[in-house]
Amino acid sequence: MAAYQRPRPVDQAVIAAQTQENIVVGNEIIRSNRASRLIHWTVAVLFFLCLFTGMPIWTPVFGWMAAFFGGLSVCRVIHPWAGVVFFLASAVMFVHWFADMSLDSSEREWIGWRLPMRYMRYETDDSNVGKYNGGQKLQFWLVCLAALGMLLSGLLMWFPGVFPRFLMELGYLIHDITFILFAMLIVIHIYLGTVAEPGTLVSMTRGTVTKRWARLHHGRWYREVTGQEPDRG
Amino acid sequence: MSQNLEIRRSSASVLGSLSGIRSVPTVSKYIDTTTCIGCKACEAACIEWNDLRHIATEQTGTYQTLPTLHAEFWNLIRFNERDFDGGIAWLMRKDQCMHCDEPGCLAACPAPGAIVQYANGIVDVNPDQCIGCGYCHTGCPFDVPRFHQTTGKMAKCTLCVDRVEVGLEPACIKACPTGCLQFGTKDDMVAMGLKRVDQLKATGFQSAALYNPQGVGGTGVVTVLAHGDHPEWYGLPRDPHVPLLVRFWKSVLRPLGVVAILGAVIGAFGHFTKYGRKQVEGSEDEGTNLPRLTRQ
Repeated sequence: MAAYQRPRPVDQAVIAAQTQENIVVGNEIIRSNRASRLIHWTVAVLFFLCLFTGMPIWTPVFGWMAAFFGGLSVCRVIHPWAGVVFFLASAVMFVHWFADMSLDSSEREWIGWRLPMRYMRYETDDSNVGKYNGGQKLQFWLVCLAALGMLLSGLLMWFPGVFPRFLMELGYLIHDITFILFAMLIVIHIYLGTVAEPGTLVSMTRGTVTKRWARLHHGRWYREVTGQEPDRG
Repeated sequence: MSQNLEIRRSSASVLGSLSGIRSVPTVSKYIDTTTCIGCKACEAACIEWNDLRHIATEQTGTYQTLPTLHAEFWNLIRFNERDFDGGIAWLMRKDQCMHCDEPGCLAACPAPGAIVQYANGIVDVNPDQCIGCGYCHTGCPFDVPRFHQTTGKMAKCTLCVDRVEVGLEPACIKACPTGCLQFGTKDDMVAMGLKRVDQLKATGFQSAALYNPQGVGGTGVVTVLAHGDHPEWYGLPRDPHVPLLVRFWKSVLRPLGVVAILGAVIGAFGHFTKYGRKQVEGSEDEGTNLPRLTRQ
C-alpha cells in the first residue's frame, strides 16, 4: 500500500523568479531572476576572497586574516588568481546589467555630493524612480571601473622585477587608492541593502520584493510592473 | 669579533627585537674600486659560500659575467668602460646589496619579519617569511633584490651574516687578492676610505670621494671612487633615497585607508542611530518577505 503523499508545496514566486523578472506574483514582485542573483553573488564572493587575501598583505593590522587561508604566502598565491577571476565575473556582470544601468539626465545629479546626501537623509521622493535608482546605477559603474583598475594595477604588481619602477609605483598607488574607495563603497552598499532599507536583501536571495517595498523605493518601476497608479503607500 | 644577532628593524613590524642590553658595532664592507683588478674571485667565493647554482654567463661585450644581478648571483663586478684623455679606463664596481642604514626594501616589505636589519646593520631576507611579492625591489634605490623563479622568494647578498655572526669576514672579502675589499666596523671602514681618498687626491684624482650616501642614512658598503663627482659613471645613483612614493604609500596612504574603511563602518552605525530604517510607517516588509508556501 503506497503511503499517502502530501502534495509538494510549491512557492510560485520562487519558481517564477528562476527565469523571470519584473512580474507580479501574489503580493510580491519578482526583481532579480536566478541569473541576476547568481552573477551578483559570484562577484560578491570573489570580492571577499580578494579582500581577505589582500588585506593581510596590505597592512599587518589585518594580518590575522591570513590565518584563514593558511598564511601570508598562501594569500600571495591566491590573491592574484582570485583577482583575475573576480575581474572576469565582473565583466560578465557588466554585460548582464549595463543596459539597465545608464544614468538618464535626471540621474546625473547622483554624480556629486548633494543628492546622495539627501538620499541618505531619506529626503528624496522616489515615486518616479525606475527599476534602479541613480545611486544603484552609480554603484554599478563604480564597481566595474574599480574591477578594471584593480586588474590593471594588479597585473603590474603580480610579477616582481618585470616592469620598470615607475610603473610598479603607479601600480601600488592605483591598487591602494582604488581598494580604499572600493571597500568604502561596499560598506555603504551592504549597509543600505540590509540594515537601512529592509526588504532589499530578499531581492538578492529570494529574488522578490513586496509591493509595498517597490512603491516606496521604485515608484515608476512599480507602476510599470503592475500597470497601475500607486495607492497610498 | 663574533656578534649576537639581535634585530634592529623588522619589516611590517612596529618594533625590532633589540633588547638594548648588548651594544654591537655597525659593520661595513670597504670597497676600493681603484685597486680592483677585475679577477672575480669575490664572485666565485660568493657562489661557493652561499651554495648558489652556477648560472650561464652572458656576453655583454665586456669581461662582465652577467648584465645584471640575479637571484643566484648576488655579487657582480661591473666593468664600466670609460674614455679618458689618456685612453680607456675600467671603472670597476662591486654591484651588490648596499645594506642601507634606512633600507627601502624593509620599508616596502609587507610580510612581518621577511626583511630584517640586524643590530650590526646587516639587512637580510628571511626566506621563511618572504612571500615573494617583490615590493622590496621597488623600494630598493640600488636595484638589488631579485625574484627567484624556483623558490618564489626574493634573494640578495646577506653580507655573509652566517659568517659574520661567528666572527668570520664575508666570503668575498676573504677571497680578494689585492686587498681592495676589507671588512670591519663601519667607523673603521669609513676612516680607511677617507684615508684612501686623501691618497688619491694627492696622486691627482682631485674629485676622489667615499660613496656612503646619506639619503639612505649611509650604507653598510662604503666605496672609494676615483671619480667621486660622477658616481653615475660607476652605475651608482647620485643621491639615492627610499622612493618617495613608497614612503607615501606606507606612511600616509595605508593608515589613512584603514581609518577611512573603518570610518565607513562606524559611519554606517552612526547613520543608523540618527536616521534608522527607510521604510513605510508600520511596514510589514520584513514580515511579509519571508517565504510563504502555497499549496498547488
